[in-house]
Order: sequence, then C-alpha cells, then structure tokens
Amino acid sequence: MRDKLINLKINGKKYQITVKSNTLLLNLLRELGYTDPKYGCGIGECGACSVLLDGQLTLSCLTLAISCDNKEVITAAGLSEKDQLHPLAQSLIEHAAIQCGFCTPGMIIAGKSLLDKNPNPTEEDVRQYLRGNLCRCTGYAPIVEAVLDQARKSKS
Amino acid sequence: MATYSDCLKGEGTFMFNVVSKKTPRLDAEAKVKGLEKFASDIALPGMLYAVVLRSPYPHAEILRIDTSEAEAMGAVCLTPDDVPDVLYNERGVSIPAKTYRDRRVLPRKARHYGEAIAAVAAESEELAWKALKALKVEYKVLPPVLDPIKAIEPESAQLYERVFFGEEEIAIKNNIACEREITVGDADKAIASSDFVVEEEYELPRVYHFQLETKSAVCNPEPDGSLTIWCTTQSIHNVRILIGSIFGIPLSKVNVKKIPVGGSFGSSIQMNSIIPICAALALKAHRPVKLVSSREEDMYDHCKYPSRIRLRVGVNKDMSIQGVEAEVLVDIGAHQIQAYPLLGSMAGWLVSLYKWKNIKYRSRAIYTNKVPACAMQGYGNPQMNFAVESHVDLICEKCGFDPIEFRLKNHVGIGDEFWGQGPTVRSIIKSCGLEESLKTGSELINWKERGHPINKTGRYRRGIGLARGFHTSSAGAPGPAEVIDYSGATVKVNEDGSVDVLTAVMDLGGGTWDAIAKIVAEVLGLPLEKVSLSPVDTRTTVYDVCTHASRGVFAGGGAAYKAAQEVKRKILEVSSVFLQEHPENLELVFDPKRNDAVIRPKGVPFKSMTLGEVARNAMVTGLGSIAATVSFRQKTCPPSFVTNFVEVEVDTFTGIVKLLRAVCIADCGTPINPDGVKGQLIGSLARYGGYALCEETEYSEQGRLKCEGFITDNKIFTTEEMPFLNNIVVHFTNTYEPTGPLGAKGIGEAAGNSVASAIANAVYNAIGIRFTRLPITPEKVLEALRGKEA
Amino acid sequence: MNTNTKILPLEFEYYEPENLDEALELLSRFKERARIIAGGTDLLVKMKRELLKPEVLISLSRISNLKYIDEGEGSLRIGAGTPLSEIENNPTVERSYSALFEAVRSMAAPAIRNMGTIGGNLANASPACDTAPPLLVYGSSLKIKSKGNERVVPLEEFFLGPGITVLSPEELIAEIQISQSEPPKGSAFLKLGRVSADIAKINVAVYLKREGKRCSCCRIAFGSVAPTPLRIYQAEKMAEGEIFEEQVIKKVALECQKQIKPIDDVRSSKDYRVWVSAILAEEALKAAWLRSEGSL
Ligand SMILES: Cc1cc2nc3c(=O)[nH]c(=O)nc-3n(C[C@H](O)[C@H](O)[C@H](O)COP(=O)(O)OP(=O)(O)OC[C@H]3O[C@@H](n4cnc5c(N)ncnc54)[C@H](O)[C@@H]3O)c2cc1C
Ligand code: FES
Ligand code: FES
Repeated sequence: MRDKLINLKINGKKYQITVKSNTLLLNLLRELGYTDPKYGCGIGECGACSVLLDGQLTLSCLTLAISCDNKEVITAAGLSEKDQLHPLAQSLIEHAAIQCGFCTPGMIIAGKSLLDKNPNPTEEDVRQYLRGNLCRCTGYAPIVEAVLDQARKSKS
Repeated sequence: MATYSDCLKGEGTFMFNVVSKKTPRLDAEAKVKGLEKFASDIALPGMLYAVVLRSPYPHAEILRIDTSEAEAMGAVCLTPDDVPDVLYNERGVSIPAKTYRDRRVLPRKARHYGEAIAAVAAESEELAWKALKALKVEYKVLPPVLDPIKAIEPESAQLYERVFFGEEEIAIKNNIACEREITVGDADKAIASSDFVVEEEYELPRVYHFQLETKSAVCNPEPDGSLTIWCTTQSIHNVRILIGSIFGIPLSKVNVKKIPVGGSFGSSIQMNSIIPICAALALKAHRPVKLVSSREEDMYDHCKYPSRIRLRVGVNKDMSIQGVEAEVLVDIGAHQIQAYPLLGSMAGWLVSLYKWKNIKYRSRAIYTNKVPACAMQGYGNPQMNFAVESHVDLICEKCGFDPIEFRLKNHVGIGDEFWGQGPTVRSIIKSCGLEESLKTGSELINWKERGHPINKTGRYRRGIGLARGFHTSSAGAPGPAEVIDYSGATVKVNEDGSVDVLTAVMDLGGGTWDAIAKIVAEVLGLPLEKVSLSPVDTRTTVYDVCTHASRGVFAGGGAAYKAAQEVKRKILEVSSVFLQEHPENLELVFDPKRNDAVIRPKGVPFKSMTLGEVARNAMVTGLGSIAATVSFRQKTCPPSFVTNFVEVEVDTFTGIVKLLRAVCIADCGTPINPDGVKGQLIGSLARYGGYALCEETEYSEQGRLKCEGFITDNKIFTTEEMPFLNNIVVHFTNTYEPTGPLGAKGIGEAAGNSVASAIANAVYNAIGIRFTRLPITPEKVLEALRGKEA
Repeated sequence: MNTNTKILPLEFEYYEPENLDEALELLSRFKERARIIAGGTDLLVKMKRELLKPEVLISLSRISNLKYIDEGEGSLRIGAGTPLSEIENNPTVERSYSALFEAVRSMAAPAIRNMGTIGGNLANASPACDTAPPLLVYGSSLKIKSKGNERVVPLEEFFLGPGITVLSPEELIAEIQISQSEPPKGSAFLKLGRVSADIAKINVAVYLKREGKRCSCCRIAFGSVAPTPLRIYQAEKMAEGEIFEEQVIKKVALECQKQIKPIDDVRSSKDYRVWVSAILAEEALKAAWLRSEGSL
C-alpha cells in the first residue's frame, strides 16, 4: 500500500484520514493542528516530538503514521484541559522549569510517562528517564525538581 | 548548606511589590499546554513549503543552475540570478561605517559545505524536496581552506577578493577578514622588567548553538504590496530593515511579527540566512512561503567563534600585575557576521578583567571554508575568560600566590572603567558583587579543603576550581559608539486601569518579557496580572536593536521603565483634575488591600482613586488616553559579575570528568525575575559544562562536519551529566545598579562566561594537569595522564 | 547536503502482515526490494539519511507471536520483535541475565527502548550494537526463518561487517535463543559513551562460570572495536581453569587490549579505545565474578 485510510484518536478526538506510507506521525499531527510535538532533530535524539502512543512514550519523528491505525495518540496539549492544567504542567510552572518552552511539550509527555510507570521515582530515576529529552535552556535541574515534586505531591 | 531550591540573597530586603518576587512566567500556561506558536508552527492558507539546496563542496564556484526539470514539476525556483545583487551584512547592530559586508542572499560562489545556493518552493515539502533533487548545478570546485593558520599563507586559496567595509570596497589579503590592535602603555617593557613572566596558549573549539528550535521563517506577501514575516530572530526591527534594504521595499511595507523563539543563544542576532531566501521565494511566487531548517541544515548555518589566545603576563612578587600581551586568532568561517566588533569586544573582556596596567593586544579574524561563526552566549567572553582565568591559576601556581587573594587584589571593580562592547563602549563601574561572591562562594564550596593535586591519589580524584567573570549589560555608552544600542516602549493605560505594554524586545526564553511587565507593574503600582504585553510587530513598535549583549532587561526594561515613568507623570497630571490637588502633591502607590494601583494626595490615604477610576473618568471627561512612547538609550554598560566554583571528579582510568558540584554566584543588581536569573545560571552550567567537557563540531579534511550535521555525534549535556539537585547552589549578591531599571543589570551572558574556566581549573586541582584546549574529553585526559606518567 | 530529516522523502509500499507466514510470503515476493521494519529506530534514520532506499517496507508490529520472552530451565527465548523496554522490565532478565539487562538499560532513552526491538538491534549490525556483546557471551543463537525454511545460526556467525549479516533478503530473525548453564555463574556489561543516552565508544560483556575458586568458563565480547562485535577467545582461554584473582584478571584484561583492533572515528580514537579496553574488561570480569558469588 502506498496510502491507507486509518482510524486515529488524537487527544480524545477521533479521526479517519488517508495517510501516505511515508508520512511521519509528527508531520501528520502538526498538519492537523497539533503543533505541540516539535521537530528538533528528526532522528530520535532530542525528544521534542515525544507523544504517548497507546500510552507508550514514543518519538513521533520516527513513527510512520500508517502504522498507527486504530491507535490513540496523546500530546502535551491533550493532557491539560481548557481550564485545568495537568498537575505536572503546573509543577513545571511552579519550579520555573520552562524557558523558551520548545522542549516543554516533549518533556511533559516524558515526565508523565515516567510517573505513570513509577509514581515514586528517585532523582536518579528521573534523570535516567528524561535523558532522551534535550533542553538547551534550563540545565534540567528545575525540570527534574518539578517531576520529583509532583510525585511527592500526588502521594500525599 | 543552601541547596538549589533556596536561592539565596544576601542581607537587605527589597521595597518592591512585584519586582524580585517569584512569579509564574506569563507565557507558562501557553507553553505547557503546547499552544505557543513558534515560527515553525505558523501555517497560512495556501502556503508553499520551501527547501534549500546546499553546497556539496566547501569551496566552489556556481557556474550554472538548471531549474527546468524542477519547474516542470510545478516548483518555484530561486537561484543566485533571482536575488538582488546586493552585498549585505546580516547583523545590523554595528554602525554602517564599521560594518563589513560580504554576503549575498544566494552566492555565486559557495564558501562552505552546506551553504545555501538555491531554493525551491512547492505545494508540499515532499514535492519541494523532489524538485530540489531535480536541480542541476554545475560547479567549479576550488581547493578549500580549512586551517586558519594555513589560510594566511599567500599560496592558500582565497575566499574573497573584495568585500565592503562601510561604503568602501576593500581588498581581502591572505584571508584576513579584519585585524585590531590595542595598546596601553608599554607592555613589552613592563613584562620584561617584572619578577615573573608566565606565558601560555589556549584554544577554544567550534561549538554549535544547539537552540532547540531550528531556524524557521514564514513570509506572506500581502494584498497591499507589503510583506509579513514570522521568523526566528532576536531582532524584529533589524530583520525588517535588512529585508527592506535588500529587496528595495519601503520599511513601512515590511512587517516582522514578534513571536516566541525556541532558544537562540546568539544564533539569531543576525538575520538568519534562510529569512531572505524565504522572502525572495514568497515575492517570486506571490504566495505565502514557509521555510523550516532541518537540524542538519541548522548545524551547517552557524557556530561559536573558535579562538586561539596566547597570553604573556608579567607579575611582581607583591602579586601586582605589570602587563599583558595577548595575541588572538579567530577562525570565523566563510562569512564575517560580526568579527570586527568581536575582536574589539574580546579586547574589552580582557582589559576589564584585571588591572593589567600595560596592554598589548593583537587580534586577527581569518576566513576559512567552514560554517560562519557568530556570537554565542558571551560573544568572545567565554573564550577570553577561559584563557585569562586559566592563566591566573597558572600564575598563582607558578608564583605561589593564593588564587582568591590574587583575584581580589587585581580585579577591575567599582570606580574602574569597563569596556562593555569593545573600545568605544565604556563606562565606570558603579556596582560590583565580586568580593562578596568570592567570599561566600569559597565558604559554600569549602574552598580551603580543596587540597593540592600532588597529594591526590587513587583512581577517582576530586578537584575544586574557581573562575570569575562578567558580562556587560547592553552596549550603552555616554557618547556615540561603533555599536547601535537603544530600545523603546509604549505603555498605555486601558479604560479599566489595566495596562498594555508594546515593546519590540524579543524574549529568547530567558524571561525578558516577564521582566518588562514586572518593571512596568512596579512603577505603576499595579499587580502583575494587570499588565499585559501586547502581541506586536515592527509596525506597531518603535525600534529596539536586538536582544543580545545581555541588554533585554537593562536596556529593553530600561525603556519600559522610562515609558512607565512618563505614564506615571501623566496619571498624576490627569488625577490632579479629579482629586483637586496639585500633581506634585499626589502619589501613585500599590494598595495591597485593593490589590490595585491608587492615586492619592500624599499622606491622605482615604482620599484616593484607583487607576481604573482615573482612566474611566479621563475617558468620560474627554481628557483622553494616558499613554507614552519612548525611545531610550542607556548611557552605561554596567558589568554583572558572576563567579563559579565547581567540584569535579576525574576517573584517571577512563579519563572521564564528572561535574559533581557547582556554586553559581551572581551579581546582577536587583534580580527582577529571581527564577529567571537562577535559570540562566543553571542553564549555563549545562551549556558550558558541555563546552568544557564534550562539545565540538570537528571537520573532516573534505571540509565537512564529521558529525554531518546529525546530533547523534554532537552531543550536549543530558539530565545525567548535571550535578544532583542538592549539589547545585545559587546565590545572589547584594547589589543595586544605580543606572539600571530598579537597580537591575543583565545576566544572560554573564551566567556562562566563567563556567568552563572553573571546570578546567578544578580538573587541574584534581590531577595536576592544565588543559589549555577545550573540550577536556576523556581521550585528552587519558592521553595527558599517560604522558605525565611516562 | 543531501538529507531532510523533517520528512521521509522516499516513497515505498507498506505492508503490515498479521502473522509470520504472511510476512515471510511478502519477503519472498519482494526480496531485495523490501526491508523489514520493526521499531524503525535504525531503519527510518537510515532512510532519512538516504543510506537505504527500500521500495517496500514490511512491518512486524502487528505480529504478536514475535513479541515474547519465554523462560525455560537456564534458557531464554526472546521473540525478535520484542521491544527493548520489555526486556529491560523482565524480572528474569534483570536477575539472571545481568549483562543483557545492563546493555539494554544503557541504550538510548526510554522512548527508543519502547520502540526499538532486539531483533532490529542485531539485524542492524552496527559495530556499536549494545545487545550483541551480552548475547555473544551467553552463546546465543538466532532462529532465522524464510518462507518454508528455518535455520539456527550461532550469533558468532551472524555478523559479517558493519550493517552486513548472514541474512538473505528473504529471511528474518524470528527468535533469539539464549542458554546459560547452572549457577554459579555471572555476567556483566559496561559501556562508555560521550554522554549518557549515547552510542558506545566501546562496550564489553563478560560471562563467567565458577567452580570453587576457579573460573571454568569465560567469555568476553567487545563492541565498537572492530567491524563487528567481537569475541576475544585468546583472553578467554587465559582465564579458563585459573584461580580467579587480581593478577589473572589483569592478565586477561591486557590480552583483550592486545586483541582488539579499533579505529579512529568521530566518536573516539583508536588509542583511547585500546587504553580503556583493559580497564573495562577488568571491571566487567570482576563484576561478573562477584555475581557468580566468587570472592576477590
Ligand atoms: C536516538 C537513538 C539512540 C540509539 N541508541 C542506541 C544505543 O545506545 N545502543 C544501540 O545498540 N543502539 C542504539 N540505537 C539504535 C536502535 O535504536 C537499536 O538498534 C534498535 O534496537 C533497533 O531496533 P528497531 O526495532 O528499531 O529496528 P529497525 O529500525 O526496525 O530495523 C533495523 C534493521 O534491522 C532489520 N530488522 C528489524 N527486525 C528484523 C528481524 N526480525 N529480522 C531481520 N531483520 C530485521 C530492518 O530491516 C533494518 O534493516 C539508537 C537509535 C536512536 C535513534
Ligand atoms: S524530533 Fe524526534 S527525537 Fe528529535
Ligand atoms: S526550555 Fe528551551 S529547550 Fe528547554
């Protein structure tokens, strides 16, 4: 097949779209207006394009859209409601973990993926889990702190 | 011990309501929700996608480009024949008379591998890419010049025959782009007669900015003949002026939008090479065009200035410096973006670090067939700082001086002259937290316990190092200078007492926009939520030169401060009508109970009006809008002093150096955004940790990046290279800059300048080996350790 | 510059077979024109860099019986399509196959480990491949299938050069078979990169079997020191039958250093790799020995 009609749920919204075999999930999402996953390298090294694909942390720059039939994508924009921020997003704000914000959507997705798997991470766990998400601005410390703090808060 | 979480500020409390308080970023919510629109996120109906053909040779004449096949595919093609025959300089920050111009939108000769030589636009990026591959180019391949030392030999190939300096056409000889010499006193004589002479050469690598957003542009030709541009830039007004002058469009018909930037670090001070390409395509196609660089293209677009610095310093037994001789060679790559002012600035960083008494400074910038170098957080300062701060430790080691005492004795401080941007930008230092920094920092890191490398044994050896640096705040100076530096702002009071601020100042992620809003709120006695930054463009704002030179808060915020004061004066004037008091008897203050700005007769708190009431009354009575627009130039360039203490651990078996602990101490005057200052310091730790230990974009003999533009082989720090949270300490000194808005100075670049120097000094303290070349890779450490053993 | 990593410029036909037979059928139909795509983390990067230009992609993602970890007595069978993160999270792997666990853990970052598969890692045949050294020292074999055919190839015979293996265009790896002898035994993996989440400058895996104070079986494999992942037989022989103590370990490690033939490349230098190989070998030998409950 060179193209295919796929069913895709993005941030809770259902789509039926024909995609070409070489369309990348990242570009499909962005064309549909979900511009929060970013292009940072295109080769899996920076994490800016991170999304959850059926709940799994996935790099959309190395995912063929055609392979996502009947799957569910969640992007950072899908985590926060209109008037309700995702708690991790809130924590990033409180810890001043956002500067230019280009890495932020990917970072939130990776952070959420970590907390889903391991609600009680150590600092080492957070560092190891987020190591594929590059940030040139913050030096990571406030991001790591925000994730740890969020874990702490949701425990109590 | 204080940890990363609590930012310390020395004694003294602030009298501020908003400024210096922790506040969530104004754009934070949009950013966490992923709703912020960067240039690469802009999509217009009917737009074409552009891609760029880049030279497969480091040095080649472009003889012919056949576009017929690509055009048959429906693509719009752009070749050197399609662009105005104008040589420009992309930076637009120096005055024209001191600006070198060597660049064309698309050149007739490629001067580095990856240089843009043609472009196409089509209905989709895939189609554009296909069309691009159908372009047929005939090259005349020339021998490349890659090594700057070889480049100056007469038999080497020449990148340029002639370029422009101001309006004058000048010849380029031996690939020397420009030279600068500065002499104070007689350094040769002073050094010759001093007790000790210490000499060494240092070398700093080419590193890539690695801002997370690759450079992007969207250009839209409007029905009225104007051109609207969304692009990655640090200066919307300079993009406007350059596009206007290259394409001959009146400036009123070029409109550049102020949008967020996904990091920059200096890479977009100049108008990016892709912006005029995108504009030319849009003008040719009469359609909106979008051009987003791939990461590999971006890495072939810019890098930090690689430098070699030789220092010879004479010192006497009483620790007094007698003189310095400095020789600087900068490999600028294929274009001169800002090498001439850079050489001047590097001289400035040198002379402003220590009281050398006698100075002989010689510098040269050399063209090579490599990616053009440009400013990157520090503009030559990290390079000079690494040489000087390494050298100071070297002197102390050789002469038996205490490194802290030596620095305290010889540093340039209050009352001394500071060169903020080369020899023409000077002012007298009025605030300096260096002494406090050295004292506090040495306590926080436990400096006294650092030991001597001779006594350190075993596989893992720890060392503590220190370096101090600074950076200017703006390029402001009392008189006219080589550098343009002024900003502007409009502040207007809305009819409900909320306030709009219109500024062209860009925020590169550091929080400059928050700082500006906070300064205006503070002056007008408003809670921060009542001040908004308007989405603006070049049409709706007065000129701001650029968010560079750590001037966003000091100069951009300074202009907003001026405008707010002007508005405050007008508020009191208007209020005097309603309160029946002379304006001079009125005051505008923040009323915590009402959480609002109130105007009241001094000392008569019950007879007051809120700003909203005043503004509404002004509307009803026809007194009009309360607003002010200012264009403002700072007359000083105060340095912010930053001091770094770090602890490293060297694995002597693998050569791996780990950054274990860091104490970052900043004197930035009033920290308008404490979190922002902290963010700059910690971010710099990561960036300059990488500069010190792992980053370098090396070239093959064929003139290509060894990593080929792929970050797989050009890694920056990840979470795991950073020290643990408890091992990062941030401290602010207790200073107030009298010439800054509400006492503030800059911080962006100061935060990074001395990090790599401190790391190298710590490595020395661990293993007794001084690395004079960065990065200090495990390969180099092991080689040096083995050499030492042998 | 010839690449555009924002898009995947190549056009190709895409198949997503539901079972193995269908996949093998497709492979036999398209032969050289086709490539298998598992996680795509190597393949798509190579396609974006235009190093590979397949006309057909055959995805393994819907073939559920390529994703499993089956434990037997001292053996492990891993479906080639198993994501690396599942191997990392498998308790048996963590407990009893330390070298493999450490190798997977060292790879890239969680997202890549969710996407990338063990079969892809091997078939990609990078000299720096991280799962190869541990699998080599466990004496693993690969079950390789093509339409109507099946063969089992020892991993040692699988790699022929960078990116080159014994696989014919019609074949795929179906399963990785690992067997270990009874305890006491131990294994370890070590790797050096420039930063974490990085491709190896050099990596090493060691597997040891202990009999009292003696080492009865020793296997050592290095990555990034030759065109393919490399067993160091000469060094292994020096260890076998010896009372395992500091001096022996050093001798074995130095032998490794002599045997490897690394080159200079963008990631590191020949000299550095040679220097650290002995250190890494020594540490991995010690760690494996301690894990076999031997004392030092
Ligand atoms: C950012 C990044 C970091 C990485 N870091 C590491 C690292 O640290 N260490 C490391 O070793 N690797 C690393 N890799 C490489 C890669 O992720 C791994 O090799 C991964 O295991 C590949 O698996 P895959 O399923 O994605 O393979 P694919 O990309 O799907 O396939 C790779 C190759 O194998 C073939 N293939 C796949 N499955 C089979 C099969 N069952 N039978 C026959 N042929 C098959 C494909 O046709 C293709 O040629 C990294 C990659 C990226 C992008
Ligand atoms: S863009 Fe996908 S990892 Fe960088
Ligand atoms: S905030 Fe700019 S890259 Fe992370």
